[in-house]
Amino acid sequence: MTQMITESLVESLARERAFQLLDKGSAYEILSPFDRLESPHLAAQNIVPQYDDGMIILKGTLNGKPTVVVSIEGNFQGGGIGEVSGAKLAGTLEKVLKECKEGNIIYPVIIYDTGGVRLQEANYGLLSIAEISAAIVELREYVPVVGIIPGKIGSFGGMSLTAGLCSALIMTREGRLGMNGPEVVEQEAGIRELDSRNKQLIWKMIGGAIRKEMGLADIVIEDDVPNFKNAILSIWNGEVELKHRTKNINQYLTLIKSLNIEEKISPEQATDILKGINNVENTDVPTPSELVNSRGRIWFNLLTENKQSISEIPSVLVADTEINGIKARIIAVVPNPESKFYRARKGEVGLLEGWTIAKYVRQAIEEDAHLNEKRLILPVVDVPSQAFGYHEELFGIYLSCSAAVDAYATARLAGHPIVAAVVGNAISGAFLSHGMQANRLISLNDDGVNVHVMSKKSAAIITQRTIEELDIAAKDVPSMAYDIQSFKKLGALYSLIDGVNAEEPSVDDSALVIEAIYSAYEDIKKENARDLSYRLKTEIAVSSGRVASIKVREMIEQQWK
Amino acid sequence: MEKLIYTFPASKTVKRPSHVGVVGSGDLEVLVEPNNSNETIVEIRTGITGFQDTWKKVIERFVSQHDISAFITVNDFGATPGVVSIRLAQAVEVSVNDSNDN
Repeated sequence: MTQMITESLVESLARERAFQLLDKGSAYEILSPFDRLESPHLAAQNIVPQYDDGMIILKGTLNGKPTVVVSIEGNFQGGGIGEVSGAKLAGTLEKVLKECKEGNIIYPVIIYDTGGVRLQEANYGLLSIAEISAAIVELREYVPVVGIIPGKIGSFGGMSLTAGLCSALIMTREGRLGMNGPEVVEQEAGIRELDSRNKQLIWKMIGGAIRKEMGLADIVIEDDVPNFKNAILSIWNGEVELKHRTKNINQYLTLIKSLNIEEKISPEQATDILKGINNVENTDVPTPSELVNSRGRIWFNLLTENKQSISEIPSVLVADTEINGIKARIIAVVPNPESKFYRARKGEVGLLEGWTIAKYVRQAIEEDAHLNEKRLILPVVDVPSQAFGYHEELFGIYLSCSAAVDAYATARLAGHPIVAAVVGNAISGAFLSHGMQANRLISLNDDGVNVHVMSKKSAAIITQRTIEELDIAAKDVPSMAYDIQSFKKLGALYSLIDGVNAEEPSVDDSALVIEAIYSAYEDIKKENARDLSYRLKTEIAVSSGRVASIKVREMIEQQWK
Repeated sequence: MEKLIYTFPASKTVKRPSHVGVVGSGDLEVLVEPNNSNETIVEIRTGITGFQDTWKKVIERFVSQHDISAFITVNDFGATPGVVSIRLAQAVEVSVNDSNDN
């Protein structure tokens, strides 16, 4: 028997992986280590940086076609997305988009190996991932965006939301795709919910082979470089049908509604259920007997003047109203203590919520398709986190969040002005799904408003520091802090509203917020841009908040050949 | 994080810059850039503090084996002296070679 020698991509470092895919001699690196554009925030915390910040950009050809490969280095800080690495990926996609718009088709390939946001830079990761998502949604219309998850770390956290947005995903059996890593689910939900040391179970839930069988990945291959190249080519030449999963809202939402999770559903059962996605009968989600108050509900009621929600899911409130005479759709995520998804009862964005947000945002896009003046969409942001749970990972909570991101981004691109009003917590994947795709972010200046990526306890465990050490680091690095004043220092906020009682707003308070919403709306209209570039143009962003993000983009432009 | 700098006299030039390794657990990245100042300058950043003596010995041994006029930068994430020596040797090998494999 002859044995073929294989060339492993999985075992290679990120730079080697990118070179392996491109035609020999065709590729050059943009922002190579010799440019020494490293993270300014790691050194500030006494952590040794890497000169390419763990994000490698190679431009060349694949089978003769102009291609850009962006490859994430999983060995450096767990492939975590910081300000520089995030800007390298976002900036490259934005540049490719610009080229495509000018008629120069360049094929983008992203090699994922990441745990998501880099916790040491926290909110920079959130901002970057929102920008990466926005670019993918727009770019997909010109050229297939191919995502590869070869394996070692896999793709997790906010980055799994961007993977869900890709035109097609290539995985190996070693690759994993999920939102919350098994260790974090165990930390947040307990070992009975998920035993992260049960590796066999983990790979049966979120490994490449099962993700393909579940219909969540497009191609699964053995680890050999020619296989990866052939898989990419088969996507480019149309052999692989692009599934647009994030647009299949009715199928997924109907399936999620129908799930019975009183007893744990096994990965095998889940696969069968997902295979039958087109033949699920509709079930209704019961209205809870008692309503729990939350900031989201209070402000939803105030802004809609107590209109009845039109949403079929009790934890997502949706209503159309007028703000200063302007047509607006208000969307809020609120607690439902009776939800059968027991990990999503406190207002988290879970399986149901992500798909439901997507449904009602898309509904507004369709209803206004023929209008010149698209209605304002206003996510009221009060979300404690995404849902951490076994079934959530099994049934692809990342995709439910991708669907919400996709819907908001699509609405923005279609010309809907989106103003996100942060009235409570704006945390992690939940904020990415509900708020972060807005043209403008406004927030109450209130102690109860927090923006961050992970609970302090979990962040301490993952970064191997004490909570006290985290607090000290946050003083020098505002992106790590949880309070809204620190978030403001990053330059992404349009306005911060002082002196409003967030819990029991008066008529005056309500007027102040409506005024801020209207001002943001007018600013969007005046600027007439449909992307997220505003966040890089504010005075604070230019002078201090996003200096590295801006520089990365300028250097990509300079080095592009 | 600790920063260490060493300078030694050198005579031979290298052909091209090189980069090897990754700032990952037990590993390091090494950049070699040619210079014409007839000296080897080694600049190290390491997350493991208090090992100046060990670093000095590893670098001294390296320059005794490789006479190259270059600016060498190291970002270290807890590599053992053995790994450091191998990475430095690898970087020099890439730097003195003519062709690029990619």
